[in-house]
Amino acid sequence: MNDYILKTQGLTKKYKNHHAVDQVDLTIRKGDIYGFIGQNGAGKSTMIRLVTGLAFPTGGTMEIFGRDARTGLNEAQKRMGAIIENPALFPEMTAYENLEVHRRQKGIPGRECIDQTLELVGLTDTGVKKVKNFSLGMKQRLGLAMALLSDPEFLILDEPTNGLDPIGIVELRELIRKLNREKGLTVLISSHILGELYQLATTYGIIHEGKLLEELTLKELDEKCRQHLKIKVDDVTKGATVLESDLGLTDFEIMPDGTINLYQHLDDVRRVSKTLTDNGLVIEHFARAGDSLESYFSKLVGGGRHE
Amino acid sequence: MNNLLKAEIFKMQRNRSFWMIFAISAGLSALMHYLIMVDWWKMDGTSFDAVGLGDMNALSMFLVPVFFNLMIGTLAAFFISTEFGAGGVIKNQILSGRHRHLIYVSKYIVYTMGSVLIGVLVPLSTGVIMLAVTGNLEILDGGNIVYLIRMHLLFILQYAGYTAMVTLLAVLTEDSGKTIIFSVLFTILMFVVGKVPVFNIVEIIYDHSIFQQFNLVMAPEMSAGMMTEAVIVGVLTIVVVAAVGCMVFGRKEIK
Repeated sequence: MNDYILKTQGLTKKYKNHHAVDQVDLTIRKGDIYGFIGQNGAGKSTMIRLVTGLAFPTGGTMEIFGRDARTGLNEAQKRMGAIIENPALFPEMTAYENLEVHRRQKGIPGRECIDQTLELVGLTDTGVKKVKNFSLGMKQRLGLAMALLSDPEFLILDEPTNGLDPIGIVELRELIRKLNREKGLTVLISSHILGELYQLATTYGIIHEGKLLEELTLKELDEKCRQHLKIKVDDVTKGATVLESDLGLTDFEIMPDGTINLYQHLDDVRRVSKTLTDNGLVIEHFARAGDSLESYFSKLVGGGRHE
Repeated sequence: MNNLLKAEIFKMQRNRSFWMIFAISAGLSALMHYLIMVDWWKMDGTSFDAVGLGDMNALSMFLVPVFFNLMIGTLAAFFISTEFGAGGVIKNQILSGRHRHLIYVSKYIVYTMGSVLIGVLVPLSTGVIMLAVTGNLEILDGGNIVYLIRMHLLFILQYAGYTAMVTLLAVLTEDSGKTIIFSVLFTILMFVVGKVPVFNIVEIIYDHSIFQQFNLVMAPEMSAGMMTEAVIVGVLTIVVVAAVGCMVFGRKEIK
């Protein structure tokens, strides 16, 4: 049994001479909240449209729920829920009627699921109000209700916080966490608001100009973003020994390029450098390092090109 | 498929355009029938006259493609094309996990049912009601009732062939305005092809199409051969156009 929900290999979508998605190898494990990060136009929505079957790849393969998407996509879609770009709603119908259409399309037995889902997203009191009179936030919540109606195993949310007020964003985050924790729901959530994803996702995929630049777990990201002193000395072994024996420091790493990442004594850098030089070490590089998610992302994609 | 049909019927029942066209069809039909029955409006030389149903001449109008397309072309625009537009509700259907050809066929079936209702059954029933209201119900006898049934059944078959074409058009254009405009232009083109001499091949195709059948099935008398041809043309059109539609929709990328 595979432990992943989605696995793509070399997935490509080409429009004439433009690669909207270019050779993407992406893996989403069961129970992940996968944050899909990218600027506007980076390829997030195209990737999601490929995964959901709204568009067709021009290259590569895709496995969903352990089956090749070319043969098993319809079955997979029954186990998915999604909001893609904007919630797709009938403006002349009420929230209940919109969900009833979706219930019938999906063939979900019984109408109880409609009331339960409306309650879950806080739309029980909308009554006969038509969707065209809903606020953007209410529409977004109704879209989420439609995605959750069939009790999916895999939830795909493309920019789900568009139009939500700050309280709505917090509520959405809590709801996703709760569903993930209690029902083991796997979530793919795309956004260009990095702070929002940082508070929610357990795994990140960073896409830029159609290419998946990096896939990393929250732990890996935290390590990359953790504030530290980056020290390069002429003798790395001796340097590590000095840090341990003379300063009693243990929270540091020796990186493959021979630098030492020191996570302690960030506010006492003078003492660290003095101890190293007192022990006859030549300091080649000594700087404070570590990123926020935003600066890490900027650095990765080349920076300065946010829309 | 059953679930998809139920969903489409639910949507049709809540489609404002459908009810508006329904009301217009009923109102217009009632008015036209009334004006003919009180001899305010004269129509002669129709198939209905030939079978003693002159008071139902108003039906002749509703059986002309250029006319009925105004209703069912608009219905297609606001029942099918809009789903591809700004709301993008077609996405939900694709995500339901149903095969695309089933989604397409269910749309076609329910759209055709709605079209038959507003374009054929409403005018026919208003005609009968107006006969009753004006005390002319006795003009209906065994012979012309059989004619009405035979003619309408064969007509509905051709009509379903036409709705298959409009469904395909609605899916291709993905835009309500374009669907209306192109369907109107298409019916005008077919009207012109039927009236003026054209190239041999076009004439042959037209003569064996549902557009010629729309005229032929109204004849007071039809031989078994003519009826068989009408059935074959209608069924073939439905099957071929619906198959093309399934193929187009199956390969369509949803924005």
